[in-house]
Amino acid sequence: MTWRSVLLLALGLVVALPQGHAKAEGRSGTVSAEDWQSYKAKFLDPGGRIVDDGNGGISHSEGQGYGLLLAVLADSSADFELIWSFTRRELLLRNDGLAAWKWSPSEKPHVIDINNATDGDILIAYALTLAGERWKRKDYLAAAAKIAKSILDETVAEYGGRTLLLPGVAGFSAGDRDDGPVVNPSYWVFEAFPVLNRVAPSPKWKALQDGGQAMLDALQFGPRKMPADWVSARTRLKPAQGFPVEFGYNALRIPLYLVRAGSDDTALLSRLREGMLGEDGDLLLSDVATGSVRATLNDPGYQFVNHILACVIERVPLPERVKVFSPTQYYPSTLHLLGLSYAKEKRPECL
Amino acid sequence: MKSSTVVIAGIMFTAVGIAGFADDGLLRRNLGAASGASGSGEGVQEASFGLVDKGARSTVPEYQQVAQNTQQPAAGTTRPQAAAPVVDESALRYFASKGDTARLQAEISRLRALYPDWTPPKDPLAVPRNKDVQLETMWQLYSEGRYAEVRKAIAERQTAETGWKPPADLLERLNVAEARARLVNSSDLKQYETVIEVAAGTPSLLTCSEVDVLWRVADAFVQTDRPDRARDAYLYVLKNCESAPERLATVQKAVSGLPYDMAQELLAFERTAPGGVAEFESLRDDLARRFVAEGDGDGKLAVDPKYIQRLERLVETEGLASDALLLGWYQLRRDNMAPAEQWFRRAHDKEDSASASQGLALTLIARKAHEDAEKVLYPWRDASQDAKATYFAATANLLAIEPPVALSEEVLARIAQETTKGRDPATAQQFGWYARAMEQPATAAQWFTTALRWKPDDEPSAYGLALSLSQLGDTAGVVEIQRQWAGRSERIARLGETEEERRDAIARQQQPPVREPVPATAVQRTEPVVVTRQPAPQTTTRYVTEQPVAVARQPQRTVRSATGCRTSINPAQLSPQAALNRGWCLMDLNRPLEAAEAFEVALQAPASQMREDAAYGQSLAYLRAGLTNKAAVAATRSKQSRGRVEELQSAILADRAIAAFDAKRYRETLIFLDQLGQISTQRTDLMVLRGYAYLNLKRYAEARRIFEAVAATGNRDAQRALADVSKAQEIWPNK
Repeated sequence: MTWRSVLLLALGLVVALPQGHAKAEGRSGTVSAEDWQSYKAKFLDPGGRIVDDGNGGISHSEGQGYGLLLAVLADSSADFELIWSFTRRELLLRNDGLAAWKWSPSEKPHVIDINNATDGDILIAYALTLAGERWKRKDYLAAAAKIAKSILDETVAEYGGRTLLLPGVAGFSAGDRDDGPVVNPSYWVFEAFPVLNRVAPSPKWKALQDGGQAMLDALQFGPRKMPADWVSARTRLKPAQGFPVEFGYNALRIPLYLVRAGSDDTALLSRLREGMLGEDGDLLLSDVATGSVRATLNDPGYQFVNHILACVIERVPLPERVKVFSPTQYYPSTLHLLGLSYAKEKRPECL
Repeated sequence: MKSSTVVIAGIMFTAVGIAGFADDGLLRRNLGAASGASGSGEGVQEASFGLVDKGARSTVPEYQQVAQNTQQPAAGTTRPQAAAPVVDESALRYFASKGDTARLQAEISRLRALYPDWTPPKDPLAVPRNKDVQLETMWQLYSEGRYAEVRKAIAERQTAETGWKPPADLLERLNVAEARARLVNSSDLKQYETVIEVAAGTPSLLTCSEVDVLWRVADAFVQTDRPDRARDAYLYVLKNCESAPERLATVQKAVSGLPYDMAQELLAFERTAPGGVAEFESLRDDLARRFVAEGDGDGKLAVDPKYIQRLERLVETEGLASDALLLGWYQLRRDNMAPAEQWFRRAHDKEDSASASQGLALTLIARKAHEDAEKVLYPWRDASQDAKATYFAATANLLAIEPPVALSEEVLARIAQETTKGRDPATAQQFGWYARAMEQPATAAQWFTTALRWKPDDEPSAYGLALSLSQLGDTAGVVEIQRQWAGRSERIARLGETEEERRDAIARQQQPPVREPVPATAVQRTEPVVVTRQPAPQTTTRYVTEQPVAVARQPQRTVRSATGCRTSINPAQLSPQAALNRGWCLMDLNRPLEAAEAFEVALQAPASQMREDAAYGQSLAYLRAGLTNKAAVAATRSKQSRGRVEELQSAILADRAIAAFDAKRYRETLIFLDQLGQISTQRTDLMVLRGYAYLNLKRYAEARRIFEAVAATGNRDAQRALADVSKAQEIWPNK
């Protein structure tokens, strides 16, 4: 089956979703209460802030977006309220309605960069939409629509025949950089686009989805044929200047996003898996020019990405040790819960 | 009871008025939703809606009017159902239990305002505690500012207890508190649209108890160019709020952000204390300074004489140079030069500064005391762009005086140095005329050339250069200038029109006295003298009105000594500025390849003007070295002025045409010449080249037509070429 037909199917499902949710009311979430509890205990501060412990305890719009999404998946409306209250009050301050991306507990004002991070905005709007539909909250849906429209207006750009998602409103466009526009392929949160189309209908979401797919097909750098974290779309796609030329911490979540969005484009998924698979499911970060390994990641959250690919592609069930969630660091643990949630909801055979 | 109702109602009304400016529609929706959700009794709803309607009608909130209106509802006439409102006393009980008397009192006032018929408990501290422990916790979190946690607690309880609803009072307070925090955060981050949006959505924030919020909203309006709305916010405070320090601070903020007229509007609401002292008296001196300063920037602003007089008195009593300066600029802007000079002198003598000297110099220039102006400003010439511009206005004017003023060596030397350092084309041009008046045509030619380098479209300099070259006998140089300015300057074209005139001129100009040694960079042309009898150029007053462009960036020719770059060094170690200087120096020594390297280093400069100069220099260097293609590349490495672009393109195309011809690629030669024809008038030598290209392509008719046209101007090459065409055609039938 091709990617696009999968998408059509996914869109079909999406239409059916509201009823599905109505039926699912009262059911527990796809993130278990225990897992969510241990995640919160480690990464959610009492004031509603998701703490990135791997980055000096700062917070960012991406973290708040993940927190909101996990709260929906854990079916915890109270935690969603908590995280949303913080997010709106502390980050959703920009004139254009997008979130300031970076927040530090030790500085005043706490926002230390007013620029946005588009994946953070997408995650927040996506989670708000799901929450609004699940708990019948018009205020969530209205807030989601506002952010989604702003994402379309401020960060979606046509360039050289491509529909691109600028990583931030400032600093990445053709006018801002010699090699601009520069994009981050891992900012394409594929599962969010059809959902956002419900609160802010626009053909651009589909264009983003198709453009993102085409871009991933084309991003085959170096001997491992892997995408880079940061890509210049100035001419032909190539690693952007001034960023590490690597398949790194950003790009490693691309396959997880793909499977969560329902992709079974085995050619693409297999290529990505081969490029990052180490021993025992370790995840390899690599130099996209030379293919040499930059880091071998053995956190179960990172490994999970490899294991879920193995299950999707080859029907290999997940190993026991990654079925159990035990929080380590904010980022891999977030990916871990997103992966487990997907397995529970869509791939019970993997568990 | 009545009075507090009036105050609150007035506040709400005016708040609605202010917010209404931001977005009437949004506001109405929001208020509707808020009162619908509050469930606090219909009386309140009615009052809110009534206020909104009035707010929507009136653009400027009228406190008086509202006060009258709301006194009646208090008497019960428009509040038929206010008999049994359900008063939510949970906050009251919470604050009482904590012994928080300040908050308790505020809550009592608030409830009284909302429910005029409500009677507060006799001993509020004896009010029984909330029995609802969870609610108690929510109030506690709220009072600690932990709003997100209140949200969480509410949601948790709603999940656990179906049908439970939080008290409307708690929800409303939470909304307002969160909005306040968000507004303050947006304001701190200069996200002014968000500030206004939040304020519009939360009118209950805009009250006297939140003056800081009102200030922030007003500031957001100022920052987004909506001063009238800012004025309304400040007006609201002055009309309604009682706190003396806040009123004073409001005026201070308002006058710093609002234009003069609006500031006067606000000051009309000043109150007089029982002792007869006006409440803003302590601000008077600063207000006078502030308003006169605004008059400094806007010559059309009519500042009330009382402020001028107050400031004049201040100069007498306090003697601050800064106050005298304010008055000086105020008068200068109104062309009252005599008082302006007097105030500037006062400031200058008291405490000299760039501003004082600049102002004084401007008044001196105005009365044509240019020499004094130059002297006053010289020490401050580098203080600011403005000071520099004024200095060059003085120097250009000083040199332009007719008959020329005899200036000391010292003054001339320092003006020359500043001119070259500051690259001021106006003064350079006037130096040219000054040199001509002093009968130093070679120096004049040098200055005009310099002026043209800085300002390629400076026709008077081109004209002056042509005159000087003509005087020096450089016919080719004159012709070249005429070619460059063909169609752009009548007087340059007509220079040296007839033989008779030329001979007359030569006769009159037997020995051009050259008193100064010509620097190595001077015009290197030594052909027979061609002189014009054009009248002396009228340039003297030109720069009195026209401010010279003075951007100090780079020293140039006359400063560079040819010895400065004789030693070989690696230019990569130089700063961009030093590399640029070295590039020009090497060009003077005719070492173009080394110059190109130096310019390459200067091309890394952050300043675009320097990059432009470097690209220009490198292009010229490659042209001189015969590396036309490299010159073409260099020319594109930075944006260039139109004059330079045409100059470089013409030179590049001419070189390419010649190179193509030498390589016997005649069609290509014609293409380059066609391109050249599109950007500049054809040089005769290139027309001859075109003719020979035709000839070699055996396009005899075209070759002949060109040669005939050029030969008609007396061009010997063309005449010889005509013979060549004939010869070629003669040979042809024999073959």
